[in-house]
Amino acid sequence: MPCVAECPITMHEEVAPGHYRIAVHAPEIARAAKPGQFAMLEVAPGYAPFLRRPMSFERIFGDGVSFLVKVEGEGTRLLARLAAGQALSVQGPLGNGFSIENAYERHILVAGGIGVAPLPALAEALIPLGSRAPEVIVAARNERLLLCEDEFRQMGCVVHVATDDGTAGEKALATEMIEGLDPAPGTCVYACGPMPMLAAVAKMMIARNVDCQVSLEARMACGDGACLGCVVESKGEREGGDMVLVCTDGPVFDAGVIDWDR
Amino acid sequence: MKNPVTVASGTFGYGEEYDRYFDVGRLGAVTTKSLTLKPWAGNRPPRIVETPAGLLNAIGLQNVGIDAYLDTKLGFLRDKGVPIIANIYGRAPEDYAELAGRLEQAAGADAVEANLSCPNVHDAKTARGATLVAQEPDKVLAYTKAIRSATKLPLFVKLTPNVVNICDAALAAQEGGADGVSLINTLLGMAIDSETRRPRLANIVGGLSGPCIRPVAVKMVWDAAKVLDIPIIAMGGICRPADAIEFLLAGATAVAVGSMTFRQPDAAVRVIDGIADYLERHGFDRVQDIIGAMSKTPETWPG
Repeated sequence: MPCVAECPITMHEEVAPGHYRIAVHAPEIARAAKPGQFAMLEVAPGYAPFLRRPMSFERIFGDGVSFLVKVEGEGTRLLARLAAGQALSVQGPLGNGFSIENAYERHILVAGGIGVAPLPALAEALIPLGSRAPEVIVAARNERLLLCEDEFRQMGCVVHVATDDGTAGEKALATEMIEGLDPAPGTCVYACGPMPMLAAVAKMMIARNVDCQVSLEARMACGDGACLGCVVESKGEREGGDMVLVCTDGPVFDAGVIDWDR
Repeated sequence: MKNPVTVASGTFGYGEEYDRYFDVGRLGAVTTKSLTLKPWAGNRPPRIVETPAGLLNAIGLQNVGIDAYLDTKLGFLRDKGVPIIANIYGRAPEDYAELAGRLEQAAGADAVEANLSCPNVHDAKTARGATLVAQEPDKVLAYTKAIRSATKLPLFVKLTPNVVNICDAALAAQEGGADGVSLINTLLGMAIDSETRRPRLANIVGGLSGPCIRPVAVKMVWDAAKVLDIPIIAMGGICRPADAIEFLLAGATAVAVGSMTFRQPDAAVRVIDGIADYLERHGFDRVQDIIGAMSKTPETWPG
């Protein structure tokens, strides 16, 4: 069950230019949270900005959770200005997390930019499942914007780094990297990043008959399925139309559910 | 209603969404998302954009339709024992009449709120700046009469603030047999991304809600209360108990918490508790004692 809690910030650090890791003490939320779920964070005590901001759980600890925040606008700028010791109102956990099953021989995680945000918690949950270490593609525009590379290595994942400009790892796109790993049926791919990357990865995996879960991002007002603001277009003929809600139908979807050509 | 607080249509789903945070049975009533005769898919995304102290939405009345409401949503609300105000929307008076009649027949609501003022339904006429039903008092009268003849349930007519004088539409609803009016629906608005030069909403135009619209809503409630004999359910940017009391002082009989529920899921129960505290603190016995009780003497500052 989700709740709203005033949580002390236990860590607030800039991990890359314009990117912050914020950890909070939130035992109740941490107990209920699953990898891939998210929380709505209050960004200002007053009403401008009015709405909370959705952020997925980067890590889930025994007594707290952490978030990775990229400064994009007014709300995230305010989150960036917070400091350890201050309080943050956290509403969560919300949405559906990744489906984690040990039926797969191989797990490949694909992170594009800030899309890495929900994947450390997922990797941590996958490690105990099997003998083969999860493989993680960490892709970013350049070396300075690489996120969580060390974190994945410390967990025991096999990390493949790619940058657009070749300043670290291979000079390649995430989609080129995953093609190089040649995933076959029996593999599960988990992807989070910009929509064009997700569309390319999803289509490739569908063509290869490889199971693929994608974590989507959307502007949200409520996070609870009430405002109906965060829709994306799906392939299915659902009651009421061909839309799915990122907040309560997702944010993690099977790649086959989304209409990638819209 | 055991207290004068409900939730604004479209901000609370069908109630179950928020029962995870608080006992929805505590509300004076639950007002549902608009119901239509058939399920509606709503508008393409993006559907919402944040604006200073509020948000624009162009959801486009996505809803499950009355059949699914009666089959899958009503049971929860009935189990909660909370009064239900079913918000209805149609393209013609006959649609509203049919919806109201079916709700009464199926015991699907304790009151009906007719949404004559949605700004976000795909309609070429509206996009060109033509009218919403609630912008034309003659139509408000005709629609209200049609619904009135179809149901004995208490009938509220939800009006738009996008008018020159709210009293004309409010009086038309009263004349048509409404038991009350709901004031206000969202203000028409739009937002453009200056960098990309693209509209921020797929529908281009949306409805503005949140605390930024509260002063407009208070003034409209005050205007309407002076001319109406029927009660007003007031809404428009209520965030805290003091905001709700402002509307009661302006002449509203009940209030609805809207967009604030997105920010604070239990905002409505905080308002319920806060009104009770206020009445006690100021020595009033009943909420009725503060309805329309704004002092005629303006505040001075410093006091």
